[in-house]
Amino acid sequence: MEPFFTRYRNLLVLLVLLAAQIIGLAVQVRRTDSGRSSYDIADGPGVRLIRLWANALVTPAERLIHDAKLGVGSLWTGYLDLRHVHDQNQDLQKTIDRLRLEQASMLEDTKQGQRLQALLGFQEKYIYKTVVAQAIGTSGSDQSRVFYLDKGKDAGLEPDMAVITADGIVGKVREVFPHSAQVLAINDQSSGAGVILETTRIRGILRGNAAGQSQVVGVMADPRIKPGEKVLTAGGDQIFPRGLPVGVVEKVVRDPDRDSFVDVIVKPSAYLDRLDEVLVITSTEPRFSAEQDQDVATSEALKGVEAAAIKEQQKASQIMAERLPGLTDLNVPAAGAQAAGKPGEPGAAPGAATPPVPATPPTPKLLPAQHADRYSPGSYPAVVPAVDAKPKPKQNPVPAGQAKQVPVKAAPKPGDPAKPRRTQ
Amino acid sequence: MTVLGLSNRRELEIRRYPILIYALVPLTALVLQAWLPRLLHGYVWFDLPLVVTVYFALGRRNPVQGTLMGAGLGLFEDALTHHAIGVNGIAKTVAGFLAASVGVRIDVENHTIRLTLNFLLSLMCSGIYLFINRILLGLDLEWSWVTELLKAVGNSVIAAVLFPLLDRTQIRD
Repeated sequence: MEPFFTRYRNLLVLLVLLAAQIIGLAVQVRRTDSGRSSYDIADGPGVRLIRLWANALVTPAERLIHDAKLGVGSLWTGYLDLRHVHDQNQDLQKTIDRLRLEQASMLEDTKQGQRLQALLGFQEKYIYKTVVAQAIGTSGSDQSRVFYLDKGKDAGLEPDMAVITADGIVGKVREVFPHSAQVLAINDQSSGAGVILETTRIRGILRGNAAGQSQVVGVMADPRIKPGEKVLTAGGDQIFPRGLPVGVVEKVVRDPDRDSFVDVIVKPSAYLDRLDEVLVITSTEPRFSAEQDQDVATSEALKGVEAAAIKEQQKASQIMAERLPGLTDLNVPAAGAQAAGKPGEPGAAPGAATPPVPATPPTPKLLPAQHADRYSPGSYPAVVPAVDAKPKPKQNPVPAGQAKQVPVKAAPKPGDPAKPRRTQ
Repeated sequence: MTVLGLSNRRELEIRRYPILIYALVPLTALVLQAWLPRLLHGYVWFDLPLVVTVYFALGRRNPVQGTLMGAGLGLFEDALTHHAIGVNGIAKTVAGFLAASVGVRIDVENHTIRLTLNFLLSLMCSGIYLFINRILLGLDLEWSWVTELLKAVGNSVIAAVLFPLLDRTQIRD
């Protein structure tokens, strides 16, 4: 008779491997306070070791491929494809000049803001130091939207650091290895970032869905939320500094689980699927960095006088605008003339000249109400005499059987105080 | 005339490959699986480690080897994600075992059968992945079966190209 273990060797190996992995999974998953399960955010030492091995095996090959691609790319862009470089250079120079001018003009406001923040005891944190890194690989799974950077602990990276591009936020550093780091993208299902809608000031949490879209979840239905509205970081998550661009509202869909809540689908500003170079914010401070200070000083030195002149000009224009009565439109007839009658019409004063009046924006006309009531515009006379709640002494009593006529004023006399209208 | 017994016939049909192929092909599959999505802008409609697992399991016809290879590649894939290690491992362990067990009973030279098997095992892996996450672990995971179907089709297409290429590397007596 064949021994048991030899006969069922295949099945036993399968069962042992499955059991070991299931036990391993049970260790890594924990029950949250809400009763739901979630992956343990902090990997245990054993799990971390496995990740380290896998990373050490894959990253060098990925780095090699990436460097080769960059080498070929730089050969092409740096030596061969140099058409229009001069024009681009000029355009960039113009852009720098414009930005320097803007920076110099905003310098005073910035300093004032900082002084006020210091007075209030509130300190806005600025991006103080960043590390440039290259995205070299992914997880290889659409269920796990993470990617790998070519910089790690050796470059000063640490978990929970924000990763951004010039376009917008990208994600946060999740795991740091000696020479590489794993970044959790904002469109992953387990990510979370505090965001705010720019116009409506509605706050929410940004996370990903199964399709890889970013969405702001847990938002009360609000008709003011429209596609195209900008979404910014709110700064409350202790990871992303406040005010960084996140994306724009793409559409609003109803939350399938909760009534009166909506999910705001956001189109990210950063190209999450085409990342090459990213910035890792390694430090935020309540002051500008030395580079930023130097940049501001340069802008002030180069464009400070010009910015001050523009500001003075703007101030003078503002003062003039305040003092002047307003723009006049000679084609618009006077309000007084309209009330008295148009020239040539009966009642019009002969030879009355129509003085110019300030041009006013057109007043929007209300549509007629379908079911008019006493609140509908036009259903009541312009001015109705006040009806006192208390009966007044009868001066001219109306004889019984005679219809009561309510006196209506044609127009209020100038200088008459408007009487309050009482309702019973 | 010599009549071959089942074990002898199996030995004759077992494919053998250079040791370098055993080492390089799975590693290349893992690296490409991690790198190609960057090139394809995030469209991960393939699972190269699964294709390689199925190929070697079918060729070797050894359930133990197929199981071990599936478990190793699956765990490796898990380690590159930020999810718990073992979900892909379990799915590919089962896939490797089934592929090798079926490989004993079918004609693995037939491309259509291999591609069909690849397609079905891809869908099965997706099902196991979903089962582990939703039922076994009770995780709140959104799911798209269309994506999984596309992934199964992608695996079959890749297998249609890769299997004949790998067939050329086998050692023939």
